[in-house]
Amino acid sequence: MLSGMPQAVRLDSVTKIYGGAGRGGRDVRALDTVSVAIPPGTFTAVMGPSGSGKSTFLHCAAGLDSLTSGACWIGGIALGGMNETQLTKLRRMHVGFVFQAYNLVSSLTVRDNIILPLRLSGERVDRGWLEEVLARVGLTGKANARPSQLSGGQQQRVAIARALITRPHVIFGDEPTGALDTVTARDILTLLRSCVDATGQTVVMVTHDPVAASYADTVLFLADGRIADRMQSPSADRVADRMTHLGAWA
Amino acid sequence: MLRYALQSLKARKAGFIGAFLALMCAAALVTACGGLLETGLRGEIGTERYSGTPVVVAADQNVHHVTKKKGKNKDKAKPLDERVWLPSVTRERIEAAPGVGAVVPEADFPAYVVGSNGRIFGGPDGKESSGHAWASAELTPFRIDKGTPPRTDHEIVIDRGLASRAGLAPGDKVTVQATGLPSTYTVAGIATTPGGDLKEQAAVFFSSDEARRLAGHLGQEAVIGVLPKEGVSTGELAKAVGKALGESSHEQVSTGGDRGRVEFLGAAKARGKLISMGGAIGAIGLLVAVLVVSGTFALSIQQRRREIALLRAVAATPRQVRRLIGREAACVGFAAGLLGAAAGLPLASWLHGKFVGFGTIPETLKLVRSPFPVLAAMAATLFAAWAAARISARRISRIRPAEAMSEAAIEGDRLPWGRLVAGGIALAGGVVLFVVLAALHTEPASMPVTYLAVLVISIGLALLGPLTAKGALAVLGVPLRLSRVAGYLAAHNARANAKRLAAVITPLTLLVGMSSTIIFVQTTLGNAAEHQVRGGVTADWVVDSTGPGVPGAVADRIRGLPGVRAVTEIVHTSVRTPGLDKYSVQGVTPRGLASTMDLKVTEGSLDRLGGHAVAVSDVVANSKGLHPGDTMKLLLGDGTPVTVSVVAVYKRGLGFGDLTTAHDLVAGHIDNPLSDSVLVAAGGGAKRDTVREQLAAVVRDFPGAVVTGSGRMADRQATTHEENAEVNYVAMGLIVAFTAIASVNTLAMSTADRSREFALLRLAGMTRRQVLRMLRLEALTVALTAIVLGTGTSSATLTSFSIGMTGEAAPAMSPMIYLTIVAAAAALALSATVLPGRITLRSNPTDTIAD
Repeated sequence: MLSGMPQAVRLDSVTKIYGGAGRGGRDVRALDTVSVAIPPGTFTAVMGPSGSGKSTFLHCAAGLDSLTSGACWIGGIALGGMNETQLTKLRRMHVGFVFQAYNLVSSLTVRDNIILPLRLSGERVDRGWLEEVLARVGLTGKANARPSQLSGGQQQRVAIARALITRPHVIFGDEPTGALDTVTARDILTLLRSCVDATGQTVVMVTHDPVAASYADTVLFLADGRIADRMQSPSADRVADRMTHLGAWA
Repeated sequence: MLRYALQSLKARKAGFIGAFLALMCAAALVTACGGLLETGLRGEIGTERYSGTPVVVAADQNVHHVTKKKGKNKDKAKPLDERVWLPSVTRERIEAAPGVGAVVPEADFPAYVVGSNGRIFGGPDGKESSGHAWASAELTPFRIDKGTPPRTDHEIVIDRGLASRAGLAPGDKVTVQATGLPSTYTVAGIATTPGGDLKEQAAVFFSSDEARRLAGHLGQEAVIGVLPKEGVSTGELAKAVGKALGESSHEQVSTGGDRGRVEFLGAAKARGKLISMGGAIGAIGLLVAVLVVSGTFALSIQQRRREIALLRAVAATPRQVRRLIGREAACVGFAAGLLGAAAGLPLASWLHGKFVGFGTIPETLKLVRSPFPVLAAMAATLFAAWAAARISARRISRIRPAEAMSEAAIEGDRLPWGRLVAGGIALAGGVVLFVVLAALHTEPASMPVTYLAVLVISIGLALLGPLTAKGALAVLGVPLRLSRVAGYLAAHNARANAKRLAAVITPLTLLVGMSSTIIFVQTTLGNAAEHQVRGGVTADWVVDSTGPGVPGAVADRIRGLPGVRAVTEIVHTSVRTPGLDKYSVQGVTPRGLASTMDLKVTEGSLDRLGGHAVAVSDVVANSKGLHPGDTMKLLLGDGTPVTVSVVAVYKRGLGFGDLTTAHDLVAGHIDNPLSDSVLVAAGGGAKRDTVREQLAAVVRDFPGAVVTGSGRMADRQATTHEENAEVNYVAMGLIVAFTAIASVNTLAMSTADRSREFALLRLAGMTRRQVLRMLRLEALTVALTAIVLGTGTSSATLTSFSIGMTGEAAPAMSPMIYLTIVAAAAALALSATVLPGRITLRSNPTDTIAD
């Protein structure tokens, strides 16, 4: 173990193999002995060409999917040996999610969507904190709106607010700007960046957009299920360049 | 959680409307059936004849059978069909009781006024007309309105209603057909009751001696009315009379609402019918609801896959999601139960009205209105919703949270083992029911099993649905592919979404299977019985009556005609065994039976029929292990015990009756001793036309009697059966209607969900017409699969039923009706798919994709 504060997310020789048994196909090795440690208070982008294992990486690191071998920790808590209910409770309290789309339950108001994890764990809602989160994502006064009344960018802000409400060890984003126009995407990325800078939140984001990746502290490049490279303080151009070498746009 | 469930319901009304409608119909059905059931259990039959008699003593109308179970004596009682009479000495025992003011014995027998043109006058709306002694007029009480009481045996008093229907006034001479020869009486007076004219019957009063002569039953009384001394309350009187009669359960003391049961014996039968029918429809309705609603829930969960995956990813444990679905179901169930139960109240009245209209239950048996059926329906609906949610909740655990992130929601491919096993068990259970059905020989026993078998098989097919759907599509896909675009897509769509298709095939299969079973069970039974009668009546003519029956004197006169070889008088009644089995009986004149009736004897001979020697049908013989020479104990229609010996076993029991006895054995033990029909066979070389003319001349002297051809018996059998069948059609028709509604909303729900798919197809270059054509082909595929499966289910069931009831594997399916069912199913499938499809296609495809 590393000394001092635990890593926000740690993967140790994680391998994930998808069985092709059903259709007589061969097994797919989506992650191949991946080891990585993401320190708290950092913004990490995960990039790679299609089929490189980006999504699998996210699923495994976030406790959404089981590992074939290896071990995984979130905030120092080992995920190994947990059943589905325990994993859910862990995700509820310690992990936030921002997906590309369909982030919100359409029948619930903005407020209800945000406090959903708290309600499901039966916890009291701290009104002050809720107001603060709403203010931070720029949705003050929109608490009673329905998702259908919001723009795409605003919907992503609600998702971020929901991710923040539990003060999780880590927020995972899966192409959080993938469905947004450039200007809105920039706002959302700035918001995520500010979460890291202002409150020491840890963010891990899968993306294929070099501009999005440039907002991160570190970029992890995945190829064929392995970590092919990592880059500190990235810029969009350097990331794009590196991706070209990985054959992403070949 | 509840709030979330409610919000989710509010936002997804469309997804729940299917389940809501199905549950609402189920609630209405259960409320209505509960109302009938309760009416059967504790409905009061109003008394008319005994209105003025606080305490009525009658014989126990039930046969009791005591069985020992776990050291406890269990008394099972079943009613007899004919009135059980009291010994006359009972009078003296009652007279001895304190507080008794007067004891009025009552005779009761059929007595009909015959008009000058031979028209028979009964009660209002064709109800019965009974004869009594004027001495018992006090029981109602009847008071003379005009004229005088009967002073001689040739005078009568009739009730005012009857007098006005028949146009009679005091002093008129009129023919009355009672239990013997029709005779002429003088109307001495017209009587009324304090309650106005009679509504449930007509009454003809004779002098005491004449009434006693006509009633028969020497030394017996039908009913004894007890009037109190002044100042004695009904309760005291009933208690005193009960005490005087001792603990013997043979006499029953009735007061208040119980008196109607003594007056209207038929009502007891009607109660039984209501209980069994109400129970059967309610239970089947509930099972159908669970089946259908779990289908719609499964579909709505399928449609909410993404939302559920999101919930699972973000925060909710599998248990919480299951609970959420459960609460949603409970909310839907509650609302549907409330509305459905409200709708069920008028439905109960409607059903009651129909049953009264068909003559299945008497009008006097009023519908009981209480909160119980409503509460039961709400509880049942909640339960059905909960059960359906539980069943579909298994799917939820299989939705992986990671799906929240994947673009398309893909159906799972393999059927889980549990479902395969459950489906296999259900199908095996259905086969077991078929075997059971083939061994059941009575209609009340096999009817519920028939419907249950169809349901169990349907449940099995539903569980194995995706497999059956795939199998059917593999076959149907071949012709589909002939159509290049639409057919090709329809076939592929169907194959790829077997699970969705299975959800819509299930209710349609049930619809086809249920409706054809309900209808063809009746035709199978009716045809078999009619066929037996048509083949079994070998006489040349049948003398029938439009009134209460053919008197014995007619038969005697016909016997005396030259050229008549044999005359067979037939009465119908029923008997019970000490073990409470009920058998239908025909009592026939044994002499010359061979030339009028062919029962298809398989063992023994009918030659020795007579006295206590009887013949039994093969169904009875097999179930009781009887052969010629064996004896059996029976209780005749009025409860008189007899021991009979079997002389023959015959095949045509369905048409003629379970037992055939000598006319004389049963005629003295039935309420109406007149013959239902008289069969006449010509012979001895006389010209048929001459005999027929002579026959007509004899019959002319007897009002109501008519000569018809030998087919008359079979026609009558068919009509009677048709009337019985109608009740079943109405009752089970509700189930069919319910299933149809369920099919439609499942189909509509499934189509409405595919807007994205349609938009994609249109963006890919398909025209609106091509999409609709594809939908139509899909709907036809679904309908065809359901028709094949439903027909298979019903024909297997009908075959087993037919083996059990008629001894032959000969289900009678009328092609016209069958085609109607098939066409209706196809039309339903088409319209419920294409109409929502049209609406979905109305929106701009690019907008749909963007959403």
